[in-house]
Amino acid sequence: MQGIVLALFICMLLALVTKRFSLPTIPFYILAGLVLGKSGLDLVGADQISAFLTHLGLIFLLFFMGLEIKPDRIWHNQSAIVSSGLIDLNINALIGFVAAYALGFPLFDAVIIAAAFFISSTAMAVTSLVENRKLLMKESETIVWLMVFEDIVVILILALITPQTEHPGIMLAKTVAVLLLLYALIRFGKEQIIWVLRRDDELPVLLTFSAVLGISALSVYLGIPESFMVIAFGTLLGTIDPVSFEVQSRPFKDVFLVVFFVFFGISVNLFSAGISLTVLIAVSVVAILSKYLSGIVIGNYIHRSSRSGIEIWANTIGRGEFSIVIAALYASDAVSGTIACMVIITSIVGAFVAKYSEKIGEVLIRPKNPDLFIRPGKGQQG
Amino acid sequence: MALRSVTLPGIGTKYELETEKKDTIAVFFLKNGNIQMYTLQHESQIPSVAELSPQEARRLGAILTGAIMEADRESVEIAFSALSDLRLSLHTYVIGRDMAGKSLSDLQIRAKTGVTIIAVSRGENNIVNPPADFEFKEGDAVVAIGETDQLKNFEREIMVK
Repeated sequence: MQGIVLALFICMLLALVTKRFSLPTIPFYILAGLVLGKSGLDLVGADQISAFLTHLGLIFLLFFMGLEIKPDRIWHNQSAIVSSGLIDLNINALIGFVAAYALGFPLFDAVIIAAAFFISSTAMAVTSLVENRKLLMKESETIVWLMVFEDIVVILILALITPQTEHPGIMLAKTVAVLLLLYALIRFGKEQIIWVLRRDDELPVLLTFSAVLGISALSVYLGIPESFMVIAFGTLLGTIDPVSFEVQSRPFKDVFLVVFFVFFGISVNLFSAGISLTVLIAVSVVAILSKYLSGIVIGNYIHRSSRSGIEIWANTIGRGEFSIVIAALYASDAVSGTIACMVIITSIVGAFVAKYSEKIGEVLIRPKNPDLFIRPGKGQQG
Repeated sequence: MALRSVTLPGIGTKYELETEKKDTIAVFFLKNGNIQMYTLQHESQIPSVAELSPQEARRLGAILTGAIMEADRESVEIAFSALSDLRLSLHTYVIGRDMAGKSLSDLQIRAKTGVTIIAVSRGENNIVNPPADFEFKEGDAVVAIGETDQLKNFEREIMVK
């Protein structure tokens, strides 16, 4: 218990400092965890309480992600999402897998690294676009849809890679049955749910908290993919009143997610798993370069410009929350350490590249004909 | 003047307007409630950006609709294009010493100018639709509605006396 309090206070101080310098907070939470935990001073260890709070952080992050997913909007923008998304997926997952396999990770570990390697941080991309005031650039929409595509891939990974206790057919049938039941419940109970949400006592927050925990417990009991169910539940509730559910669940997400990141760092042992520092840094460097490649290809494919590619690269370098989710759920010690390191390095590098992307673009890509690079507002996609 | 709006997941809603002179104005309603406004001059590459709170944005909106605005005087003009271009203005005024102690019926505001006082703000209280015998006090803020000419008339005939 004291460990959690200590960790949270340190995170709060770190958040104060990093926000002051407009840096992403996630890498610093993980760093704090590494310093406090097995890899560092060994001051704080995981226990049952921290495990429960960590789990809450994970499911509220997923629930929040679910609330944001609007199937009809995705459907209407599929052309924008799919083309760039597939380029991003193919290039990065392939490079991530080959790099991990070449560095000596076993097959399954290499797949997990490839997944974490591919998924950029949606939170960081969005924050960097808003804070660096780049929303008007034509690439920003491309980046946002790219993040949507990556989120869909995360959902597929969470749905598909799951410890199989029984025949996949039975599990699928159970999942579909529960989803239909939830759909019906939300469809016919809509009025009642809205009535509860409009109240100004403790009922709205109690409903949100217990419903999210309830779905998670039910999924574990039935042996169906828990993470996937929580996201799907969020998406279903998002059809009623996403704003209100966001408001109710945000405090849980914000606090428990910090616990999740810091305890992820605490549980990682960078030095015991036999991974050399060279490998850790190599993976991170390849992670930055491979997003550069995919960014340039997408920039040329969609905006016919390598400069656009630089912007796309700059805002997608940072790996973050979902890479950590994948590590926390599936990874062995060695893989967790590698992913933790990758998140820390890529997100800090990403923050700086995004801030100075224009200057970096000028250095990296020299336009032969500057007139080709009339930037925002011209030749908008879609 | 093409207006384009799009909802960007995680960010908010974007409205983009290209003016006749090819300048671009884009407004983003962010998820945190703030508003970012970008203006990009024709053929320029770097936009200028301002981030506004919701109140600031409403104020800006009022200015852009053609209202006159001073420190204690605010007004909003509403145009109903469907109703043969009916344009109504709402204007606030602060009651001075001269008008204090007089009632709406004493002043004959509507009969003389066509302007209607629809609300009075006194200290912490708002009185909507004040009755004819309502007496003004110094420092009351009143909201008057009417056409721009009628309001000008009101300022000349009633306020400045």
